[in-house]
Amino acid sequence: MASAFGHFGRRSIQFTGFRRILHYDPCNIVQRSTSEIRSFHLNRNVDASIPVAMPALSPTMTEGTIVKWHKKEGDPISPGDMLCDIQTDKAVITFDIEEEGILAKILKAENSKNVKIGSMIAVMVEEGEDWQNAEIPESSESSSEASTSSEPSSAPSAGEPTARIRMSPAARKMMEEYNISSPQTVPATGPHGMVNKGDVLKYIQTQHLTKIDLRKAAQVPPSPQKSTPTTPSTPTSSPVTRVPPSITVSPEGGYQDIETTNMRRVIAKRLTESKTMIPHSYVSIECKVDAAMKLRKKFIASGTKISMNDIIVKAAGYSLQRVQKVNSHWSGDSIQIQPTVDISVAVATDSGLITPIVRNAAELSLSQISSTTKALAVKARDGKLQPQEFQGGSFTISNLGMFGIGEFSAIINPPQTAVLAVGTSVLKPSAEGKPCSYLTVKMSYDSRAIDETEASQFLEKFQQVMENPSLLMV
Amino acid sequence: MFSLTLRQISRNSFVGANVSAFNVSKYSTVPEATLDIQKCTLHKLEHGPPTQATVTREDAIRFYWDMRTVRRMETMAGNLYKAKQIRGFCHLYSGQEAVCVGMESSITKDDAVITAYRAHGWTYVRGVAPHAILGELTGRASGCAKGKGGSMHMYTKNFYGGNGIVGAQVPLGAGIAFGLKYENKPNICVTLYGDGAANQGQLFEAYNMAKLWNLPCVFVCENNGYGMGTSVERASASTDYYSRGDYIPGMRIDGMDVLAVREATKFAREYALNNGPILIEAATYRYHGHSMSDPGTSYRAREEIKEMRETRDPITVFRRKILECNLVTPEELKKVDIEVDKEIDKAADQAKKDPEIPLGELYNNIYIHPDPDYTVRGCDPSIRVISH
Repeated sequence: MASAFGHFGRRSIQFTGFRRILHYDPCNIVQRSTSEIRSFHLNRNVDASIPVAMPALSPTMTEGTIVKWHKKEGDPISPGDMLCDIQTDKAVITFDIEEEGILAKILKAENSKNVKIGSMIAVMVEEGEDWQNAEIPESSESSSEASTSSEPSSAPSAGEPTARIRMSPAARKMMEEYNISSPQTVPATGPHGMVNKGDVLKYIQTQHLTKIDLRKAAQVPPSPQKSTPTTPSTPTSSPVTRVPPSITVSPEGGYQDIETTNMRRVIAKRLTESKTMIPHSYVSIECKVDAAMKLRKKFIASGTKISMNDIIVKAAGYSLQRVQKVNSHWSGDSIQIQPTVDISVAVATDSGLITPIVRNAAELSLSQISSTTKALAVKARDGKLQPQEFQGGSFTISNLGMFGIGEFSAIINPPQTAVLAVGTSVLKPSAEGKPCSYLTVKMSYDSRAIDETEASQFLEKFQQVMENPSLLMV
Repeated sequence: MFSLTLRQISRNSFVGANVSAFNVSKYSTVPEATLDIQKCTLHKLEHGPPTQATVTREDAIRFYWDMRTVRRMETMAGNLYKAKQIRGFCHLYSGQEAVCVGMESSITKDDAVITAYRAHGWTYVRGVAPHAILGELTGRASGCAKGKGGSMHMYTKNFYGGNGIVGAQVPLGAGIAFGLKYENKPNICVTLYGDGAANQGQLFEAYNMAKLWNLPCVFVCENNGYGMGTSVERASASTDYYSRGDYIPGMRIDGMDVLAVREATKFAREYALNNGPILIEAATYRYHGHSMSDPGTSYRAREEIKEMRETRDPITVFRRKILECNLVTPEELKKVDIEVDKEIDKAADQAKKDPEIPLGELYNNIYIHPDPDYTVRGCDPSIRVISH
C-alpha cells in the first residue's frame, strides 16, 4: 500500500480537521485545502474516513428507522452490497451501498428511530486502513447544532452580569423541589434564554435527580427513560424486530407518555376519518351455533382443525354472495359492488390492529380459510405483510369472542361499507326451554350505501347458514 | 484511412486524462498489446469485426479513465439523489460504461449520437465535463442545459440527448442520418435504444426508411436484460435483437468488453458509410435498478448482480487484462482511480454550491434567434419579459 501513495505523501493526521474519538478539538482551527472543502457524505480524502449518511430512499422521506444492519463493524464492503434495512414512510427498503471499503463504525444501531435524512449513520474506511481506530468525521449538522444550542445557554450568562437566570415560575418551583443549586447548569431553550419547565424536566431526567421535598413521602424516584439499545447488534438478531414503544415516566404527577408508532398514528387517523365521515348504523342478530359447533367438532375429529371464526368467515362469504349490496365499496357518490368476496380478518398485533385479507372467501373451503387465516395472522404479528395482503378487501370481520365479549360494535374500514363484530357464544335457554349456545353478531354499516332492509337481509342469511352449516357445503 | 486520421486528431481533445503524465514509467511496460475478442454472432453479414484488437498504452489508460469516470459519476449521482440534491428521474448507467466509451473511441466528433434517457455516460463521452453533468442533474446554472433539462435532457454538439419517450429517438436518429447523407457528409448517426424499446413499432418504420434510402445509420440495441422490471424472455418473442432489423444486417457483441465494442463500431461505421444501415446488439448489464425509485432486486436475484459485478464488470475485467499484458502498472491505475475520484468529488461539491438560474431564464430559449425586443407573456397578461 505504501508504494501506491509514494509520491503523494501521507497527510499528517493533525491537519485533517476531523474530531477524533480520543482527542477533542473544540476550536477546530484546522484549515482544509480549498479544493477539498468539507462536504458531507461525498468527501473522499485519500486517507480519511468516508461518512455514510442516511439516504432518502423515497422522494417523500424525511426520516426513517434503521431496522437491521447486514454488515458488522470490520466487514469488507463491495459496491452493490446490502448495508442495512431502513423503514421509510412507506415500506422497509434495503439500502445498497456503492462505495468500496471496510465498515469501520456503526453510529446508529438497529432500531434507531427518527434518523433524519443526511445524518451520519456509519463510517467507512478504504481497504487496508485501520478500521478500529477510524476517525469519526465531524458532520456539519452537529457543529451547527452545537453552535445554535450554545447560544441560548451562553446568552443568559453573558447578558446578565449577575447570576440572574430568566426562568418561568413553574421552572423555579421545580428547581427548588429538586434542589438544583446552580440554575446555570440547566440548558435553556425558551425565548431569550429563558429556562422552561420542560428544560428542567429534561435536566432532571438526564441527571436522575430526586425530589427532596419530604412532604411527598411515597415519591417514586424517577425511573430512567427506557432507551432504545445503543450497542451494535449481534449477528444472530432476528429479522425485522418490532420496536416496543418507549414509555417515559414523568417524575412529577406520574402520567405516562406512550410514544405512538407510525402504524398507530395511521390507524388513529383512519379511524377518526371513518367515524366522522361515515354515518354508521347498527343492526344485530343472535345465531344458534350448536350445529356449527358440532360440525367443528366433527372436522377436528377427522383431522382438519378449523375454528369458529373460519365458519363465520365462510358464512359471511356465503351471505355476501347473496346480498351483494353489502359486498361493496363507497366511492364518494356511488356504490361499487365488488366482484369477489375478499374478507379482511382483524388480527391484533403489538403495534395495532391490522386486517389481512382472505381473498375470494366465498369460494374457499373451510380448511383453506383456516390455513390462510393462520398464515396471515403469523405474518401480521411478524410485520411481514405485503401491501396487497392488507390493502383492499370488501368486508371486515372482527372477533372478540376469545375475550368473552358478548356484543360490541366495530368501526367501518373505508372504502368498505360494512363490518361484522362477532361476540362470544353464551349458553341461554331457547324458546323451547333447552339450553342452546347463542352467538351475537352486530353489523355496523354505511347508511349511505346500505339500507336497513338490505342489512337485515344479510344478517338473516348469515343466521340461516350459521344455524344450518350444511348449507355451506353447497 | 480517412477515418483513422480523424480519430487521431480528435484523440488529443478528449475529456479527462493528461496522457503525457503517464508516458514516463518506472516499470517496463509495453507500448501496445493485442487482446482477443469474443466472436460476434452475425445476421446477414458474411464477415464481422476482427477477433483481435490492438490497444496502445495511451488508449488503454484513456479507456480506463473514461470508464472509471462514468462509473464514479453515476455513483455520485446516486448518492446525490439519496441526499435529495437531485430530484425527479435519474437513470444510472453503471455497468454499461464499456458501450459508450468503446463506441466513442471509434467515431468522430462530427458523427452524431442519439440515445434514450440512460444518457449520463454518453453525455460525458460526447464532451460534457462531469461538473456540467452533475450541475445539470442538481438543476444549477452551470449545468449543460442551464439546469432546465435535468437527467433526461442533456445535449451537446452532435449529441441529441437525452430522450424521455421510449423508442422515440430511433426515428429521430434515422432522420439525423438522412440529414447527414443529404448534406453529403462522411458521417454516421449512432442511434441507441434498449431492449425494452426494441419492440416499439416506430423502430421498424425507421428500419424501413433507413434501408430503403441507405442511410448511414448505426442502430445500437443496448440489451441489459431488463426493460424496467421485465426480463427479455418475458417481453420479446425473439430475443435475438440483432436480427430484428430483418433486412438490415446485424451483429451481437459483448457489450461488457470495451475493445469488442470499439472494433464492432469501427466495422459498423465503415459499413454504414458505404453500404447503409447496420444494427448492433450490445449485450450488457446494469447494476442499479431501472431508475432511482427501483431498487433493482425485486425482479432479479442479488446473486445475479453480484456475479456480474465479479465476473463481467467492464472496468474490472479490462483492468485485469491490461495489467496482465503489461500495458500499464498497478500504480498508474491506482493514480487514475484517485484522480478520477478527486475530480468527481470536486465536481459534485462545485455543483452543490453553484447557483440556480434566475427566474427570468424561464422566458428564454424559446426561439433560436428572436428579435432583440421580442417579449413573452407570463401567466398574468400584464407580465411581459424579453426573451433571448
